Amino acid sequence: MRSLLSVLLVVFVAVVSAISTTGDRLLVILEDVADKASYSTFLGDLESRGFKIAFETPKSESLSLFHLGERAYDHVIFFPTKSKGLGPNLTPQILLQFINAKGNILLTLSSGTVAPTSFVSLLAELDIQLPVDRTGLVVDHFSYDSASAADLHDVLLLPAPENLRRDVKNFFGAAESDDEVIAFPRGVGAALGSGELLTPILRAPRTAYSYNPKEQAEVVDDLFGAGEQLALVSAFQGRNSARFTLVGSAEMLQDKWFDAKVKAVGGKSATVQTFNRKFAKQVSGWTFQEIGVVRVNWIEHHLNEAGASNESNPAIYRIKNDVAYTISLSEWSWSSWTAFKVPANDELQLEFSMLSPLHRLHLKLDPAQSSPEAAAYTVSFKAPDQHGIFNFKVNYKRPFLTNVEEKNTVSVRHMAHDEWPRSFVISGAWPWIAGIGATVTGWVAFCGLWMYSASPDKKLAIKKTQ
Amino acid sequence: MSANSVQVLANAGKGESTRTLLRVIILLLIAGAAIASRLFSVIRFESIIHEFDPWFNFRATRYLVAHGFYKFWDWFDDRTWHPLGRVTGGTLYPGLMVTSGAIYHALRALTIPVDIRNICVLLAPAFSGLTAYAAYLLTNEMTPSPSAGLLAAAFMGIAPGYISRSVAGSYDNEAIAIFLLVFTFYLWIKALKQGSMLWGALCALFYGYMVASWGGYAFITCLLPLHAFVLICMGRYSTRLYVSYTTWYALGTLASMQIPFVGFLPVKTSEHMPALGIFGFLQLLAFLDYVRSAIPSRQYQTFLWLFASGTFGLGLLVLVVATSAGVIAPWSGRFYSLWDTGYAKIHIPIIASVSEHQPTAWPAFFFDLNMLIWLFPAGVYLCFQQLADEHVFIVVYALFGSYFAGVMVRLMLTLTPVVCVAAAIAISNVLDTYLDARSPNPEDHQVDDVSDGTAKKAAKSGLKSTSKPVVGVYSTVSKSIVATAMTAYLLLFVLHCTWVTSNAYSSPSVVLASRLPDGSQHIIDDYREAYQWLRQNTREDAKIMSWWDYGYQIGGMADRPTLVDNNTWNNTHIATVGKAMSSREEVSYPIMRQHEVDYVLVVFGGLLGYSGDDINKFLWMVRIAEGIWPDEVKEREFFTPRGEYKVDADATETMKNSLMYKMSYYNYQSLFPPGQAQDRVRGVRLPDVGPTLNVLDEAFTSENWIIRIYKVKDLDNLGRDHASAAAFERGHKKKKANKKRVARLLRVD
Amino acid sequence: MAQKHRIPRETTPQTPQAAKTSTTATAPTAAQTTPIVSKQAAAAAKQQINSWDQVVRNLTNYYVDSTPQRTKLIDAFMAFLVVVGALQFLYCVLAGNYPFNAFLSGFSATVGQFVLTASLRIQTNEANKSDFPSVSPERAFADFVACSLILHFFCVNFIN
Repeated sequence: MRSLLSVLLVVFVAVVSAISTTGDRLLVILEDVADKASYSTFLGDLESRGFKIAFETPKSESLSLFHLGERAYDHVIFFPTKSKGLGPNLTPQILLQFINAKGNILLTLSSGTVAPTSFVSLLAELDIQLPVDRTGLVVDHFSYDSASAADLHDVLLLPAPENLRRDVKNFFGAAESDDEVIAFPRGVGAALGSGELLTPILRAPRTAYSYNPKEQAEVVDDLFGAGEQLALVSAFQGRNSARFTLVGSAEMLQDKWFDAKVKAVGGKSATVQTFNRKFAKQVSGWTFQEIGVVRVNWIEHHLNEAGASNESNPAIYRIKNDVAYTISLSEWSWSSWTAFKVPANDELQLEFSMLSPLHRLHLKLDPAQSSPEAAAYTVSFKAPDQHGIFNFKVNYKRPFLTNVEEKNTVSVRHMAHDEWPRSFVISGAWPWIAGIGATVTGWVAFCGLWMYSASPDKKLAIKKTQ
Repeated sequence: MSANSVQVLANAGKGESTRTLLRVIILLLIAGAAIASRLFSVIRFESIIHEFDPWFNFRATRYLVAHGFYKFWDWFDDRTWHPLGRVTGGTLYPGLMVTSGAIYHALRALTIPVDIRNICVLLAPAFSGLTAYAAYLLTNEMTPSPSAGLLAAAFMGIAPGYISRSVAGSYDNEAIAIFLLVFTFYLWIKALKQGSMLWGALCALFYGYMVASWGGYAFITCLLPLHAFVLICMGRYSTRLYVSYTTWYALGTLASMQIPFVGFLPVKTSEHMPALGIFGFLQLLAFLDYVRSAIPSRQYQTFLWLFASGTFGLGLLVLVVATSAGVIAPWSGRFYSLWDTGYAKIHIPIIASVSEHQPTAWPAFFFDLNMLIWLFPAGVYLCFQQLADEHVFIVVYALFGSYFAGVMVRLMLTLTPVVCVAAAIAISNVLDTYLDARSPNPEDHQVDDVSDGTAKKAAKSGLKSTSKPVVGVYSTVSKSIVATAMTAYLLLFVLHCTWVTSNAYSSPSVVLASRLPDGSQHIIDDYREAYQWLRQNTREDAKIMSWWDYGYQIGGMADRPTLVDNNTWNNTHIATVGKAMSSREEVSYPIMRQHEVDYVLVVFGGLLGYSGDDINKFLWMVRIAEGIWPDEVKEREFFTPRGEYKVDADATETMKNSLMYKMSYYNYQSLFPPGQAQDRVRGVRLPDVGPTLNVLDEAFTSENWIIRIYKVKDLDNLGRDHASAAAFERGHKKKKANKKRVARLLRVD
Repeated sequence: MAQKHRIPRETTPQTPQAAKTSTTATAPTAAQTTPIVSKQAAAAAKQQINSWDQVVRNLTNYYVDSTPQRTKLIDAFMAFLVVVGALQFLYCVLAGNYPFNAFLSGFSATVGQFVLTASLRIQTNEANKSDFPSVSPERAFADFVACSLILHFFCVNFIN
């Protein structure tokens, strides 16, 4: 009973809070609404995570990503369609506008269908290139699923992605064991440009290549791409943190591949359960902003000097003031805000900059101000000896994490006229103070003497001269 | 009016008190006339601050009034020179603001609530009245003739050379500085004549006030030592000179050092060294003078020789050591440009680019001073005739002032007082001669009168020469002819002054006036329209980039931070803006991003034929930028191969790609039927296809297209460059033609 | 009253008298004359030195003979100022001018005071009467006090 209750509670919590940070309106676009049956597990998973799913076909009259200038949906999934064009409601401009309005897109391709021109030009804008003729097939003669594609070698078996860089958290890795395998059946590989907004999630193995199955030539010349330069699943995150994911194989999201058992060529174990379902959850969760979302809770800076006022976020500092800066960050992880932990090999940095950074400092975790929901990072430093308009700048942009770009402008003023050390504080000035003192006292004494001796002396002097 | 006053004075007023009363009345009338003639702009337009610099002064004054003196003193202005900021309190001459602040609070205390703007607008006319009075005092020190002072006051009151900087609304440092200049000179003459410490101290105090008010104080700093030096060279060293000069220097220098902006300059820069040198020299002279009175002359000779050579050697040594050690700063660039007018153009374009730093064109002298300019030599000549200490001053001032007025348009202002004084002396001399001679026994009277007054042989002989040839001069006919002629000249002068004031100097330049075909006045108010737009439609801290001319106005009227303004203290920063304006978009954009520019403002006169626009100033931007980045910005590339500066279809590629060109002519051709787009300033036809702008969005264009404001685009959300993003927006597809041939760049991560 | 005035007058000369020798030596710039005086003591035979000797002796005589008491008071004060000024300058040369404003105000206070006092001396000198028709000695002293006060105000303000 108790366990049932707790399970219910867990489910309830999952239903209620396992929603993306940007919204729950999800639009799925299919060639035919009936096709959704083959993706039922995937869509069911999404629904159970709290998304409200609407289905449309590209040609539908009622399809519109925007309503009165506002986004009508928060996320869109495109499953492969047969039509070459997508109609006036899904022009690349509209899709781009959707991304610019912080909408997220999960785009799936398939080698069986030709990618619509609308997508091709959208992808071109994102610096992702599809094979010529808008279709292609990735094959690998060394790591294919011998159970289903013994001849064609077009079902690739890939290990779960490893960490992209040492300083980046891995959102897509397998949890426990190494032998989790992702099946990538009949997919399209894409070549990514070198922009920093693009990141491959899943790359093709070194031995894979892409060719056009419709060309019947014996020898594949003019190879589109091969090896790790082929991205099978790639992620794009705009400067506004809108996410776009390209999945090369729509089939891998289908129910049959979720449950399929695959057998690697020359593999030790006979058959393995695919990792596809979890991977699909990770990819869709990332795309729809359920993971890897960093939030700035608050920023606070103040004068860090004894006896000074402890006012928060003053608009002006003085040169050579001691200043403390704190930023509080949280990360959304599926269902709750957690304290954002900077990966071990990475640093969160604060720049204090005017034109160029005059300070670039390491922000350290401050346990005193942190909680399980939010981590506070803090640093204190001395303002430079240069007046001007400065920015506290935290610019933390990492693959798979939403961008943190915070700029707080303060003025750093010069020393006011009464903030310089007074002359009598500087020992070097004492002789001259004494000089003035001597002059003034001498003058007073002189005046006194003069007054005292004035008139009679003068008369006497006149008499003398006479 | 001035002519009338003289006649009235001549006819009436036998008793001393009547004369004094008349004099007071006349002076008041002159002050009234001086103020009234400066109100044209207020009547024509409205009570508004003019031009550029006054807007900053006005803003500073408002700050002073709102925050008090100490806050003002420590004012760090974070709304100009973004992102450097400006230590405004320490880099301005606070005299003007403090004066109006004091007036404001005084009026408040008297329960007269006056808007600070009105005080600022009317400060210059009010001080012109005082200047007229100061000119009266100064002239009275020069000549015994009572009419000369009044004439000088009248001239000073209405001379266009001075009006040009002191019409209502021209709230500039010069507004009070000219009064202080003349008054300081008056006090100096007074101190010199009496050899009084108190007058010297007063002179020093007003000198301090002057230093607090205007950078032109260096004129006094150089002129007074020069006067002293000339006197010494003429063998006119006197104890009076010692007392007045040393008192002035000791107190005046200390007073000037109290101003934060001046600080240690008086002991560090070469401009101030003559004053210090003369100060030391006078000490030596005083000592020698004392010794001479003490010992016989033969011994004095030996003493003098040894002493002089010893001192000279020592002084030279100190000077060499100090200069080589860098204790004394060399002459600043602005001063070099005073000696060599070509210097600035080559070495410091920022100085040469200021229109008021240009050499004066000769018609300007006549325009600004009218007949005074030809009376001026006559007055100087008369000073030569008498040549007492104070006349030497006028002569020195006249030479010095004429030279500088010839070098720089702006310094016409410092010449005007001496021209007024000299001309007044000349005219009063003529009038005295020909009007007083009506009395029955002209010869005796004439000679007596003059010799009494001056007690100088030279003067006597000078006047005799004019009065000796008795023949025609004493006849009523010649007298009346001369008198009438002079009156006519004076009336003409008044007419000229009024005309110049009303037509040339009363335009606020913020508001442009034009005439419609039917003759009625049409106000072109684009500047304020644009500034108002900025004020209402942009964020409070939106940074505006424009050429520095408009910095003060944007700060004052639109209340938005600017990158550069008319306080041209940082050449590099201005050059940065110049580079952004004169480079290609791709080069300019990072510069604008780095400086956090939100909007760019350009002035374009092509539609209206307004010639003071940015395209006409563009070459200066290029030159200033070239001074810092000679490899990236080249002036030559803005000229066609034939050496022409063109904006039409023949313009060079560099010109057409420059941000300034694009901003000026963006969408301009859409105003005209195809093929007829015309620039009315340059008088050329423009190409049919206008420039395209990728990194900027047009935000605002004023009614007559004089001001165009562009918004700087943010970085592209998808990481594309702006050109391709804009191309995509326009519906162009990415070119795929060369994709196959060029090897793709591989990702390395 | 007259008695009372007389007594201090007897005492006042003490200061000038005591300072007299130093006055003549220092009133001209100190560096100039002191070596000459010592030279004169060393080799009196030379013509040059002889004339110098004469000059100095003449000066001293002239000074002692024809200077009114009150002027000597002024001279004493001036000598004092020269000493103070020289000390300050020496300190500046030796120890550097770090708070430059302090050095400037200290030194210029002394110089200014010296100049003002010299002016007072000139104006109160009977010989210069003709130069200053409008300045009586009383007026001169009042001027002197006023100017000195201004000077001191500036200096104290400037030294902060």
